[in-house]
Amino acid sequence: MSEAPAAVPAGPDALAVRDLAAGYGGGLALHGISLAVRPASITAVLGANGAGKTTLLRAISGVLKPRGGRVLLHGRDVTGRAPENMARSGVAHVPEGQGIIGELTVEENLRLGALWRRPREARAAALAEAYQRFRVLAERRRRAAATLSGGERQMLVIARALMAQPRVLLLDEPSLGLAPRVVAQVMDLIAGLRETGLTVLLVEQNARSALAIADQGVVLNLGQVVVTAEAAALAADVQLRQHYLGF
Amino acid sequence: MAELFELTLGGLSVGMIYAAIALSLVLIWRATRILNYAQGGLAMFTTYLAFTVITHTGSYWAGFVVTLVAGLLLGGLIERVVIRPVENKPPLNAIIVTIGLLIFLEGLAGVIYGGQYRSFPAAFSIDGLHVGSLALGISANDVFVAAAVLVAALLLAGLFQYTSVGLRLRAAAFSPPVARLLGVRVGRMLTLGWALAGLIGALAGVLVSPSTFLYPNSMDSVFVLGFTAAVIGGLDSPAGAVAGGLILGVALSYVGGYLGSDVVPLFGLAALVVVLMIRPEGLFSAAAARQV
Amino acid sequence: MTLLRHLAAAIVVALVLVLLTVRLDAFRDYQMAEVACYVVAVAGLTALVGLSGQISLGHGAFMAIGAYSAALLLLHLHWPLPAVLAAAAVITAASGAVVGVAAARLRGPYLAGATLLLAVALPSLALSDPSLFGGDQGLSVVTSTPAFLGPTFPPTRWQAWLTCGCALITLVLLANLARSRVGRSWRAAGDDEVAAALAGLNVARLRVLAFVVSAACAGLAGALLAITTSIVSPGAFTITLSVALLTGAVLGGLGSLAGAVWGSLVLVLVPTYVMDVAASHGLSSSAGSNIPVAAYGVVLVVVMLLFPDGIQGGLVRLYRPVAARVPAWRGLARRKTTGPATAPAPQPRASASEHQEEGSI
Repeated sequence: MSEAPAAVPAGPDALAVRDLAAGYGGGLALHGISLAVRPASITAVLGANGAGKTTLLRAISGVLKPRGGRVLLHGRDVTGRAPENMARSGVAHVPEGQGIIGELTVEENLRLGALWRRPREARAAALAEAYQRFRVLAERRRRAAATLSGGERQMLVIARALMAQPRVLLLDEPSLGLAPRVVAQVMDLIAGLRETGLTVLLVEQNARSALAIADQGVVLNLGQVVVTAEAAALAADVQLRQHYLGF
Repeated sequence: MAELFELTLGGLSVGMIYAAIALSLVLIWRATRILNYAQGGLAMFTTYLAFTVITHTGSYWAGFVVTLVAGLLLGGLIERVVIRPVENKPPLNAIIVTIGLLIFLEGLAGVIYGGQYRSFPAAFSIDGLHVGSLALGISANDVFVAAAVLVAALLLAGLFQYTSVGLRLRAAAFSPPVARLLGVRVGRMLTLGWALAGLIGALAGVLVSPSTFLYPNSMDSVFVLGFTAAVIGGLDSPAGAVAGGLILGVALSYVGGYLGSDVVPLFGLAALVVVLMIRPEGLFSAAAARQV
Repeated sequence: MTLLRHLAAAIVVALVLVLLTVRLDAFRDYQMAEVACYVVAVAGLTALVGLSGQISLGHGAFMAIGAYSAALLLLHLHWPLPAVLAAAAVITAASGAVVGVAAARLRGPYLAGATLLLAVALPSLALSDPSLFGGDQGLSVVTSTPAFLGPTFPPTRWQAWLTCGCALITLVLLANLARSRVGRSWRAAGDDEVAAALAGLNVARLRVLAFVVSAACAGLAGALLAITTSIVSPGAFTITLSVALLTGAVLGGLGSLAGAVWGSLVLVLVPTYVMDVAASHGLSSSAGSNIPVAAYGVVLVVVMLLFPDGIQGGLVRLYRPVAARVPAWRGLARRKTTGPATAPAPQPRASASEHQEEGSI
């Protein structure tokens, strides 16, 4: 397995969001969201379609400029930074629908994840590690990314995100369109990432699977936080589950 | 038979020029989804710069190098200053801007250098080459033209396929939002794409100017044919651009040789019409054209 | 209702224009006539591009068709003027149908390229039969001022009246068309073809219809121009003209008929102005003739960068906050974008690309 990433500060939250507001066109999709994520933990962001989950991730990673509020990365204010700079600050955002670049090969997609990293040897090392962890990708390294199956693509984008050795990983609906068995594999993979010290913010429709691996759960509805609680507590609250999470 | 051979070789040589222009258009199209109507004008302008250097220093190669550098710099500058603001606007805005740029460059060249036709030196001899007593129908310069474009195309291909910069360029062209999330500075890559296109265009300009003479509108018809070649090959395909250029060059050469040179422009237009009617996405591009 | 409003506005403008033609000298009257010809062509083009979402770099060719038709009809058949104008429009409309059908499948740069071809190829057609078309020299067009105006009526004023009158009629007709079901269908098909087709619109037919209408306008404009300049020749209908028409449409503000007026004013007045400035500074002939060209290019680039919605869009943006401050004008501020001679400038393409950015991840 890999060495632990550079010293993760124990004190401040890895990622914190205060009163974040963001939207598209004339309206607001997020009306003042606040949450905090401890280092080396998984926080599941749950809620129905249109609740603002994807918007939240976009507002954090800089794809969408927030209209109000703050985003703090290890205590530093990074609100509204451009996505390419957020990526270089250690935040990896894996968008919904995966975002593989189909015209490039698997290997090229992976290499892309680490191109900005300084010591060139680090890039080669990261690639080797990715192949070790994800055998499937090693086998398909020269194939065009568009030829991968759904589950393989999800592996690819997570592996690609890890190439940058991020400290915070934003995952948007990794289980989308995947067969249940594959979903379980992906969730296992994400749970394993926590052991390496990674902080994960996991947006999921599949609340059951997400809560199974998460430490903390945040439920959104109509752009606002409805409840924040330990994942186990959320999973146990039958009324809440049925009302907001559909199970 | 000998005539066919001559016409083919001659066509390939000219075709390389069309290929170069087509390649520069494809580069820009892939990166920014804009058709750069000013590409020919830019090539004309950088060739004038070469002309100035050559006239003052007496050295062809000094002018050659200067023009390539100028193409690189101007291409990048134009993207950063003039094109960046219209990249996310309706496509017509970019069309007007590039046309305005073309008009400006042609006017500027007219102001600085005047409208008269100037002769531009060729790099090598333009006498026909002979193998024994067989006239090849092309000159040493023609060989140089073909070789120069070929080398440039290969270097470019190598850059894109095998280097980190090339990977970033391709990622920025294929999927800008995803590339951004991976730390790629997409804006800089677009500028670089335009810079490289400017370089290739400048190369085409110096290579073709000996035969067309240099005047403010000298690159207009070359641009149209280069555009035709790009459409034939497929606007998305650099290899298609080169192939389209060669095909067009050879085809027009045959037409000129067997049917007379006044029919050539009509034939070029006819070729464009045929391709647009039958297979607008070009011969070599992936069948499903990306919907912008 | 709308028709009446448009007509009323047109009558008011007509009266103002008549006054102007009387006050201004013959050269200014000539310029007015020129601008009016362009307005007719640019208005048709802006409907094609702005409403129906298709691009044409070849409308100069349509103007040529109208011009030559008018010239030949006058020369050989001696038809009365109204008939000639109508015939020119109809003939060009028919050619617009042909082009529209041929180009129906093309989009974006391919459509641009195909229409560019049209602009390049057509003038050479005129050269193919010199006996009929007059070759390089072209044909001269001779018209006289109508008898009822009297023998001393200045011809330039008559031409200004004729062209401005046609321009106003065209604008009124187009404004009504834009407001009608056809106009709305054009906008729908132009914004989102798939959605429009799913909603039952015959997209192909709408696209061809747009070409027909815009070609008819261009044909009329060409005929009027032939009458005003008293000559038709291939040299008057180069690609430059086609580009200028498109520029006029975009500069004025796509889809906006008032914008067609602004665009035409820029097209006619800016080059003349720049040339005057150059001449008054005594610049050498090569610089003198090329500075206007360079300046024209700069104007195009700068206006597009500063006013992405064209002049009309810029004016609307300027006007709104001003009018909103004055209570009595607040109603006007709201109505400005939907006023008589203005078809609402379409938002779709801008938001489509915004959508693209946001919806792509």
